[in-house]
Amino acid sequence: MRKTNLMKLLFALMLSVLLVLAACSKDSSSDPKGNDTKTEGNAGKDKEKDKGEILFSQDDFEMTTSNSGEPIGGTLNFGLVSDSVFEGTLNWNFYDGDPDSQVIKWFDESLLDMDANFTYTQDGAATFKTEPYETEEYPNGVTIEFTIRDNVNWHDGEPVKAEDWAYSFEVIGHPEYTGVRYGPDFSDIVGMDEYHAGKADTISGIEIVDEKTLKVTYKQSNPSLLTGGIWPYAMPKHIFKDIPVAKMAESDAVRKNPIGMGPYKVESIVAGESVVYSKNADYWRGEPALDKVVLKVVNPKTVVQELETGGVDMINAFPGDQFVDNADMSNVEFLANIDLYYAYIGFKLGTWDAEKKRVKMDPNAKMADVNLRKAMAHAVDTDSIGKKFYNGLRWKATTLIPPSHPEYHDADNPGLVYDPELAKKILDDAGYKDVDGDGFREDPNGEQLVINYAGQSGSDVAEPMAKYFIQAWENVGLKVQLLDGRLHEFNTFYDRVGQSGEDDPAVDVYGGGWGVGSDVNPYGLYGPDQMFNFPRYESEKNSELLAKGVSMEAFDVEYRKQVYKEWQQLMTEEVPVFPTLYALELVPVNKRVVNYTLDRNVNSLYEVGVTQEEPFKAEKKKK
Amino acid sequence: MWKFSLRRILIMIPQLFALSLLIFILAKMMPGDALSGKIDPNIDPARIEELREEMGWNDPWHEQYARWVGGVVKGDFGQSFRFKMPVTEIIGQRIVNSFWLSLVTLILTYLIAIPLGITSGRFNDTLRDHLITGYSYIGFATPLFIFALVMLWVFGFQLQWFPTSGSVAPGLEPGTFDYVASKLYHLLLPAFSMALIQTYSTIQYLRNEIVDTKQRDFIITARAKGASETRVYNNHILRNSLLPIAAFFGYEITLLIGGSIFVENIFGYPGMGQLLVESITLRDYSVVTATTLLFGVASVLGALLSDIILSIIDPRIRIK
Repeated sequence: MRKTNLMKLLFALMLSVLLVLAACSKDSSSDPKGNDTKTEGNAGKDKEKDKGEILFSQDDFEMTTSNSGEPIGGTLNFGLVSDSVFEGTLNWNFYDGDPDSQVIKWFDESLLDMDANFTYTQDGAATFKTEPYETEEYPNGVTIEFTIRDNVNWHDGEPVKAEDWAYSFEVIGHPEYTGVRYGPDFSDIVGMDEYHAGKADTISGIEIVDEKTLKVTYKQSNPSLLTGGIWPYAMPKHIFKDIPVAKMAESDAVRKNPIGMGPYKVESIVAGESVVYSKNADYWRGEPALDKVVLKVVNPKTVVQELETGGVDMINAFPGDQFVDNADMSNVEFLANIDLYYAYIGFKLGTWDAEKKRVKMDPNAKMADVNLRKAMAHAVDTDSIGKKFYNGLRWKATTLIPPSHPEYHDADNPGLVYDPELAKKILDDAGYKDVDGDGFREDPNGEQLVINYAGQSGSDVAEPMAKYFIQAWENVGLKVQLLDGRLHEFNTFYDRVGQSGEDDPAVDVYGGGWGVGSDVNPYGLYGPDQMFNFPRYESEKNSELLAKGVSMEAFDVEYRKQVYKEWQQLMTEEVPVFPTLYALELVPVNKRVVNYTLDRNVNSLYEVGVTQEEPFKAEKKKK
Repeated sequence: MWKFSLRRILIMIPQLFALSLLIFILAKMMPGDALSGKIDPNIDPARIEELREEMGWNDPWHEQYARWVGGVVKGDFGQSFRFKMPVTEIIGQRIVNSFWLSLVTLILTYLIAIPLGITSGRFNDTLRDHLITGYSYIGFATPLFIFALVMLWVFGFQLQWFPTSGSVAPGLEPGTFDYVASKLYHLLLPAFSMALIQTYSTIQYLRNEIVDTKQRDFIITARAKGASETRVYNNHILRNSLLPIAAFFGYEITLLIGGSIFVENIFGYPGMGQLLVESITLRDYSVVTATTLLFGVASVLGALLSDIILSIIDPRIRIK
């Protein structure tokens, strides 16, 4: 009797073991993402082992296609990589997700062009000149006069007029406007506050001089205006004028048959899935090189297969973690440019004062000692992180202005270099010593020092990276633990870091990232009255430099460069945050595509063409 | 029968109410909101706060709930923040896709399952039966999200027989034959993926029912009277065995909803399941609550349908 029971138990146990094993093996062998299976099946285990050692850098990539042939018209298939649909708010004034902007850029464009430093130039659809505007109320104002070129027309043949541009301001400033665009860029226009509050029917600072000339007056002249501070998109007034502002975002003029002034016209839209564009022969820069463009949403999980089979010719952004396995895809050319991005580690130095709407630094904060912060920065080897976790597609960051802004990024500033011995020395000198002999340093008062690190979950490397940071800090004798013992999902993470001003006091250190705008001015992230100043950091010198960066003198680029050079240095001295990684953006392009470039100051979308009717397909890998 | 149905429908009302309350509270308990993803130095936080205030997201939850229920009763699910349009309109666009996908899946499921079930039941304990039950066990054990990915990889990318994403080829005129054909073409692969492994319940029910009925007295009587084997199966056994399958039709709807969430995401097929998952990740509350509520209603209705069909065919179930 007893024996049979035992046998049964044993049998049940074996069954469950079998189940577990089967489940494990299923995971790895039938993982159908394709790319994983392929590396295993074709390249064998050797490559797998080497994976961590294949290194890339920006020098391995071109920014522009190699152009092997002449464009022949034809159709280009563009993949919008996204695990969700595009929302379909197809108007610059209303969209608020990147997928939508990828759809809009084919059919509508900015009236002002930018150069490599993200400064407006005179080469766009409109030119401009500035004149000072000096009144008692606004002694440093500026009036900018824009002239729209004569040959710039909407897709329906109507010319793009000054009133169309003015209309964008009127809609965004309107009290019933539903989008997210309204902000200082608009409230700085003379008369906008009154209009936004509903007290005035017109914006006094905007004047339509004649059909093609528009004057906009800003309260305060500053160089940020010319690096993205002017709203450069017009809106066809003859189409929108009868739609109430509150209903515009859901109207057919935005969602079903939008028009613009760009190189391609929207022909048809399948909501959320795909868009077909046809050539706008009347485009002001010249005739576009393609007859048609078909845009469709591609899931990041299947993007590799779509590219290999020629289902799409190019995409907006390639998922970086799939690159190493697919670097040798034979039918595409990988282009790359430096992303407008840096990852960083931030230190909480205070809280947000909701009443005064500014940061409140706390001199008793755990991280208030600059030596502790500096030591923590010196303790991590960001260079290795870039190599080991990202195969060089991300690399060691030095300052808080990324090299995507080449003129302002201070390449001579080495940042806080990896030097664990120096870190230890700084801590020793500052009085962080291990008094109770547990292997971890106590704070200068001899009390236990346990630092909480908040990290974001999401990517495959999030976990090992967080562990690496903690390990690195442990190596210099600091006890750092993961907040709640785990990583946090995006929304929770930023809630606790303080996106709504309610900072979680449990967070001491956090790992974040910023996509930076075209304007180099870092005020929005480090200004003392900015919600996104998550470290809650403020210093006199910082405020002074930030103010100098947007002063009248800063219209002189050399002066502005000097100011931001000093600011980058200040940040490495005071370390409210320290940058960890810069990133590359990667775009694979089918070999039949010509004239495509990631260079941000070239507006050549209309020149992009294909050299043959059919896309190249990937050869089967033989190895 | 009417009394029973009415009673079942009356029970539904508190069920739905509890469901809506639960959904709403859970949605609001999610960290962050539709605006918290907008952590972008180019967007003014003051504007975000202004929008939150306008949307009423700062009000106490019971006020928001009352407002929401008030709207729902009138058929107004509110405004989607993400899409910037009424939720009813978005759901209107998506529900059509989901409806066709479910319908085709259901048809395919029955087309595969019924012949297999009959064969399996009629020739029970033969090799054929073992193969079929073997298949249905494998179907039962295979996780849909893995199976669908394999199908996509094999038939979509390796063999390239089917399109790999979307619900229709770009650029076709709605209403034309090409458009309809393209729609059908796009939903075949996802529907097959779901149908192939969802057949297990139907096959098993049918098989057991047939095996059971085969030994009933009236079948022996029929045989004794000299009815041919085909006649016995088609007229006597099958008719009796199909009834439970009809009864479980309602529950199939619930299974379909669960399946559509995976399948639509894997195949990039813009239906309700995909909408739900996206809205959860982007915290588009109004859409999350509306889709979950609709899914809930569909499940409750499915269960009701099953109960009613059951009560029609089996008088013992009717509650007095």
